[in-house]
Amino acid sequence: MTQPAAQIRRDSAEKVTGEARFVTDIALPGMLHARLLRSTMPHARITGIDAAAALDMPGVVAVLTGADFAGLKHEWGLFLRDRPLIAIDRVRYVGEPVAVVVAEDEYSAEEALDAIVVDYDPLPHVTDAEAALAPDAPLVHETMETLKDFYFKGEAKPLPGTNIFQNYRYECGDVDAAFAAADHVFEDAYDFPMVFHYAMEPHCVVAEYSVREGFTLHSCAQSPSAVQKVLHAIFGTPLSKIRVIVPYVGGGFGGKASVKLDPLAAGIAWKLQRPVRLCLSVAESMLTCRRLNARVHLRSAVAKDGTLLAKAVRVVMNGGAYADTGPAVAIKAANRAIGPYRIPNLRLEAQAVYTNTVPGAAFRSIGGPQAVWATESQMDTIAEALELDPLELRRRNLLRRGETVRPDLRSIDVEMAEALGEVSKALPHRPGEARGFAVAASDPGIMPIGSAMVRLGIDGSITVMANSVEIGQGVRAVLAKLAAEALNQPIAAVDVAETDTLTAPFDWGTGASRSTVIMGCAVQEAAADAGRKLLAMAATTYEVPESECRLVEGGVLVRNQHHTFRDLFHRYFGIDSGDVSGIGSITPQYRNGAFLQAPLFWETAAAGCSISVDEDTGEILVKDYVSAADVGRVINRLAAEGQDEGAAMQGLGHSLFEELLYEDGQPVNASMIDYHVPLIDESPAHFETILIENGDGPGPGGARGMGEGAILPVAPAIANALAAGHGVRIKHLPLTPEKVWRSLRAAKAGL
Amino acid sequence: MLLRRFDLHKPETLPALFDLLDRHGEEASVLAGGTELLIALKARVLHYPHLISLKAIAGLADIVDAGDCISIGALATHDAIARHPLVCRYLPGYAALSDNIANIRVRCAGTLGGNLCFAEPHADPPAMLAALGARLRLQSATGSRECAMADFIHGDFETDRQPGEILTAILVPKPVSGHRAAYRCYGASHRPVAGGAAAITMDEAGKCSAAAFWIGAVCGRPVALEQAALGVIGMDRAEIAQALPALIAPEIEALEASDDNHGAGDYKRHLAQTMLLRAAQAANTVAA
Repeated sequence: MTQPAAQIRRDSAEKVTGEARFVTDIALPGMLHARLLRSTMPHARITGIDAAAALDMPGVVAVLTGADFAGLKHEWGLFLRDRPLIAIDRVRYVGEPVAVVVAEDEYSAEEALDAIVVDYDPLPHVTDAEAALAPDAPLVHETMETLKDFYFKGEAKPLPGTNIFQNYRYECGDVDAAFAAADHVFEDAYDFPMVFHYAMEPHCVVAEYSVREGFTLHSCAQSPSAVQKVLHAIFGTPLSKIRVIVPYVGGGFGGKASVKLDPLAAGIAWKLQRPVRLCLSVAESMLTCRRLNARVHLRSAVAKDGTLLAKAVRVVMNGGAYADTGPAVAIKAANRAIGPYRIPNLRLEAQAVYTNTVPGAAFRSIGGPQAVWATESQMDTIAEALELDPLELRRRNLLRRGETVRPDLRSIDVEMAEALGEVSKALPHRPGEARGFAVAASDPGIMPIGSAMVRLGIDGSITVMANSVEIGQGVRAVLAKLAAEALNQPIAAVDVAETDTLTAPFDWGTGASRSTVIMGCAVQEAAADAGRKLLAMAATTYEVPESECRLVEGGVLVRNQHHTFRDLFHRYFGIDSGDVSGIGSITPQYRNGAFLQAPLFWETAAAGCSISVDEDTGEILVKDYVSAADVGRVINRLAAEGQDEGAAMQGLGHSLFEELLYEDGQPVNASMIDYHVPLIDESPAHFETILIENGDGPGPGGARGMGEGAILPVAPAIANALAAGHGVRIKHLPLTPEKVWRSLRAAKAGL
Repeated sequence: MLLRRFDLHKPETLPALFDLLDRHGEEASVLAGGTELLIALKARVLHYPHLISLKAIAGLADIVDAGDCISIGALATHDAIARHPLVCRYLPGYAALSDNIANIRVRCAGTLGGNLCFAEPHADPPAMLAALGARLRLQSATGSRECAMADFIHGDFETDRQPGEILTAILVPKPVSGHRAAYRCYGASHRPVAGGAAAITMDEAGKCSAAAFWIGAVCGRPVALEQAALGVIGMDRAEIAQALPALIAPEIEALEASDDNHGAGDYKRHLAQTMLLRAAQAANTVAA
């Protein structure tokens, strides 16, 4: 195959031709269809469910409710065991699954939903995080059972008797003394909205169960091994009999990370012992998970010359009805509010609280956009007060390579000024447009645990078995290229198998920008293992020292003599068959423990934008956007640039348009008709991605993870441009036209 | 959510259509482009056991020169209207509006007739067609009648169309000499929050002989700024530009605009004013 064609991601070709298979395309013999009846109440006791009429409807096979799972240890979670398989006796948010109709076809199941009557006894509800902190706030959960090291390292610190399910504190230096001695103290609060992931593919699972075979799930899960683990905990089924297969996934962004729909789908299959398909609509996915909205309180102590002396951060996050990964999100929000700056005195506090809203969950750079929105807005406020250029204020405080963000974290592994310099050089300066900048540093929560296998067949074809999920980011293309490089074979010879826990070894999951580094290294190790075996076989077969053999395309070169794999295998095995497989494992002990210290690498971002504002409508148009990421090494340029562009465009949503709204406990815009994600005609007219490659990351060839950083600076860069060019500082996202118009009007009126 | 089951009928003639309408009454809805109806059906806001498609009836999408007016078939899509030579020649302001409705998928599937009859208030065509003095032709088994666009929409999702009637054509007068019309709108998510339509006719002496100013999308139905339209009669272009902001202010202030997810009432009134002034500015210039 020629080089250019080899560079095209195989999954891209399959997707544009419609050949790619997603969960929704899977049909198993005898498969039933499930639809969910969801709570219409924000908080209530269920006093009765009458499904008799639904059961009589054509095509309906079963109606399942909490009572059907009463015998199981059905409550599950990742940090807190707070979540029932399906509502039992009580609902905690509008949209919580209350009953399942299982029917021969999807339409019959949907029809029968209306025939189920649920009686509720309403309880007081709370949807706002600050209100949930009040002493007399209704309690969303009475008990909090934490799980230590269950799937994430560490343990949540809830405050029993309150709605606080995570209460995180960190301090270094002498914060109070620094504030007392500072020339200037800046204090601000910033609000970040509740936003939805909007993956194009809604959540979808096809599950089967039999006592003999256990579970097989075809799932859109980003973390198949977490799904295995939770099913094991609920059903007691051996891990070896819980198989999770993940075909192509149509986007996730964290919304399919950890565990979402799988336990319920598995529960239905377990109960009925028939294959069942549970596919949500987008509107239902909006009721499944969302980003934690937050208020970030910042106090910064600053010297006359702009030197940052101390920072106190207090983050209050709305975690929704179930904790999910919220405890980790809160910690990261606190860390990511520091910024890539030299600040000797730090006080970080973060609380995540239960409310009667859709459960909060991981979302592209957990806690990051919330934190960076606050920190980078305040940096411009400081610059303005000190009459410094915002870029100059940042340059005076940016970390140099090897300095620390926080003394207990790995020192920063990039030169932050490099990215910001590239951005400010590349961003055009056009008349009538205002410019704004922002930078960010995030500490990916990467568990260095993942293994892969590489098999080479007698014909030279190679299979990579790795449980990274191809979610659109291009991981299969990256792994194929790394395996091909390590074995010195053409990319066209490599296939990366579908994610399947039965055939590929453990991987922690796809998220936190980890797959290129962790699975990339694992695949390199696995390929090297196979390569060593091949050379040993060649040495034995051709009776030469291993040092005189090397891998070449299609075979081995032995003392300048080319032998095909077929020749080698035939001679070595004695028949014209056989293969060689290698395994590679990344563990915390990898490279003498070098992967143990957190973060494994820093994911950083710098961005600048120029905007124009229609002061009559309040509409912001982003004209130019430049995004820079220090990725160490680019493995697939098109995919890497796509990740960067995609993250920034997603950030445009929470910056300008997106917010899930609640009134009286009800979500009022939870459909794609009323919820505004950025459209192509709202994207910047000019977008540039700058990928910095110094080969200094921990991954293959010096690669770092990427794909999350570019979402971080979008909102503050736009707000900073608005403040610089139009004199209004808005601290509450999204920057909707109406909000901008009101701010401009108030400013003109001198309010 | 999923669509509930329904029977789809595809009559090929108007008599067959009227027969179906008569037979199924309130159990049936007419289906044109489906861009609004199908969403409402999927959201289960509406349900009809019978949908009667108009697509197989010949001639309903035709756009023709009808002498003193352009007749736009109710089933003409927004995209077809935007590109039609007659519309581009005689009604350039409407062609521009049509080319800017929602997004390309809606423009290629959605029909003008469907848009008007569904009467979703966040729509572009009604205010502009009212400013252009359009008339709507409604047909039933017993005959046909005309209704002024200005009177057709009664409120949110409510029109003058009677049971058993369908809208067959939109008749837009050809502009007289000195007439110029323009429409401007603003809104997110491909739906207008406010639209302003202005039509101004100048006589040979350079004085305004007729004007129409309409606000769309803010209220349940398009609203005419009647006093402002009377107020500019006799003014020259410079005087209109000078006087219009003050002339429209009282009627803008009186618009019934509610606070909802599209914005607060005062913001919508401000947008209406802004869009109307922008439309009027475009209409108040000499044709290129």
